[in-house]
Amino acid sequence: MRHQVKHLKPASFSERVFGILSYVLMTAFALICILPCLNIFSTGISNGTLVTTGEIAFWPRQIQWDTMGYIVKKTAFFNALKNSLVVTIIGTLVSMFTTITTAYPLAQTHMPGRKFIIMLYVFSMVFFGGIVPAYMVVNSLGILDTYAALILPFAIVHFNMFVMKSYFEGLPESVSEAATIDGATDTQTLCQIVLPMSKSVLATVGLLYAVNYWNNYFHAMMYTKSASMRTLQVYLYDLIQNGQSVLENLAGAALGSAQGNYEANITTQGVTAAAVTLSIIPIVALYPFVQRYVVQGITLGSVKG
Amino acid sequence: MARQQAYALRKKWKWVKGHPAMYLMLLPGLFFVFVYKFGPLYGLLMAFEDYDIFAGSNPIDAVAKSPWVGLKWFRQLFSSSQFKTVFLNTLEINLMKILFLFWIPILAAIMINEIHNGIWKKTVSTAIYVPYFFSWVVIYGVFYSILGSYGLVNQWLSSLGLKRIMFFSDPQVFRGVLVFTEGWKEIGYNTIIYLAAMTSIDPTLYEAARIDGASKVSQIWHVTLPGLLPTIVLMLILKVGYILDTGFEQVLIFYNPAVYDVADIIQTYVYRIGLGQANFSLATALGLFNSVVAFILIVGANTASKKLLGRSIW
Repeated sequence: MRHQVKHLKPASFSERVFGILSYVLMTAFALICILPCLNIFSTGISNGTLVTTGEIAFWPRQIQWDTMGYIVKKTAFFNALKNSLVVTIIGTLVSMFTTITTAYPLAQTHMPGRKFIIMLYVFSMVFFGGIVPAYMVVNSLGILDTYAALILPFAIVHFNMFVMKSYFEGLPESVSEAATIDGATDTQTLCQIVLPMSKSVLATVGLLYAVNYWNNYFHAMMYTKSASMRTLQVYLYDLIQNGQSVLENLAGAALGSAQGNYEANITTQGVTAAAVTLSIIPIVALYPFVQRYVVQGITLGSVKG
Repeated sequence: MARQQAYALRKKWKWVKGHPAMYLMLLPGLFFVFVYKFGPLYGLLMAFEDYDIFAGSNPIDAVAKSPWVGLKWFRQLFSSSQFKTVFLNTLEINLMKILFLFWIPILAAIMINEIHNGIWKKTVSTAIYVPYFFSWVVIYGVFYSILGSYGLVNQWLSSLGLKRIMFFSDPQVFRGVLVFTEGWKEIGYNTIIYLAAMTSIDPTLYEAARIDGASKVSQIWHVTLPGLLPTIVLMLILKVGYILDTGFEQVLIFYNPAVYDVADIIQTYVYRIGLGQANFSLATALGLFNSVVAFILIVGANTASKKLLGRSIW
């Protein structure tokens, strides 16, 4: 049937133009998304002189690892990485626990008081207290400059909770009913029946939380003061803004060193680029594994926001 | 009637008694919401006080003990030219983003759907949403390397004998940088949303259109776009609804004093006067104004969504 129709009506000129245009424009779109990443990667590992003269575009030339080594050994990179990992891992665990324990009861349509609690969540989602009052709360609790300040205020993201709630609502009721008849308690039903059935939504929401914690810049900057508490994003921002002073430090340190080549390779642009590259490696490395859940998350969120 | 009510009440009570764990489970979430979402609402009183952080034993206690000044800060705010600037900047920057970026993902989704080579299609649709997972700091770093005064673009310009463009400090082009980088981060993600919505369009509609002799363009016009319309309307409503809430972190990271006139938005201004200059009351007043307007917009957006699409956005 399809074949016949095609035969009856061959692709017109305008159709073919549109087809070709689609390939060209969408390939260009993909390149626009990828080339800047290649530029930053190449800048971080190419010969310093080539970098400063602007000869590095999207492919590395005369590869050197001095800049990467400098970032790792001479700056606070590892400390910042450690802070980001701690916040992301503990934060995601805390958030998942809170989100599951909130979404599951709220998905029980027969629960008395459910509507009122949902209303509380909707209200606090759409009405924002403001930056200054939020800072006052964190300050009064005495958790400024601790990991707690970077986790507790963001422990529950309402949007994620609602995504999970609507997923739970969509599960067949007969399953949990059967478990109840068999004498399972609510917690047993949740842990042994519902959660194993919800792996995909758990992965998706977990991913959303992890990205949230990992990428958080503003709150990390606002709620921490000491240099040892800086997360990767704060460290990175400081490095980009103060690239010049990084180099001045280096010039001072290099006076006693005999490695002239080493110094020449380390440029402002190179240092920034190498740090950016190192900070996106975790995301890029995980990307192929979590990609399926990403699309799922996007679809879940858009269908049942 | 009364018996029915009593019966319903007994049934509810029975549910509560039978499921104590359900209520216990809610506690951690409610704890966080009360402390970190409702807690700040008490702090909003600062907007009506001459707040002195040292008036009490801690910053929250000080809220109760600071002197009351009524609407002083709001009057000061609404008569200042700075308020007008940041308010207009917020609207202008976000409207520019909607105007220049909103339609691109729709077109991109339609075009990606026209790519019939499976591997090509997969590669393109995977590549375009990589930037969505980068933080604004990373995106700043990436574009600083490309658009900075000695970045790639300026190296090219100067090698062609052209003048360098100060993308980050020239008020004439800075908003362009904001719009472009926003697009770089978000377009791919939004394209995936439309691609997902497209998969739910009934394929027999295309079949029927083809039998009727509809060309590709008229298939897109009469089948694809109507199929996408609910998603398009929802996305537009959300964009308008959240117009005061978006762009804060991006602007905070990208801007600098040279471009305050064109880039300073309500939230960045609140941050600077509040936590930078410790003018807590004035900043809270402006933040409250922002929250109230944003609240009205979002509730309005939800009403529009219910009317037009028959569904709530939350």
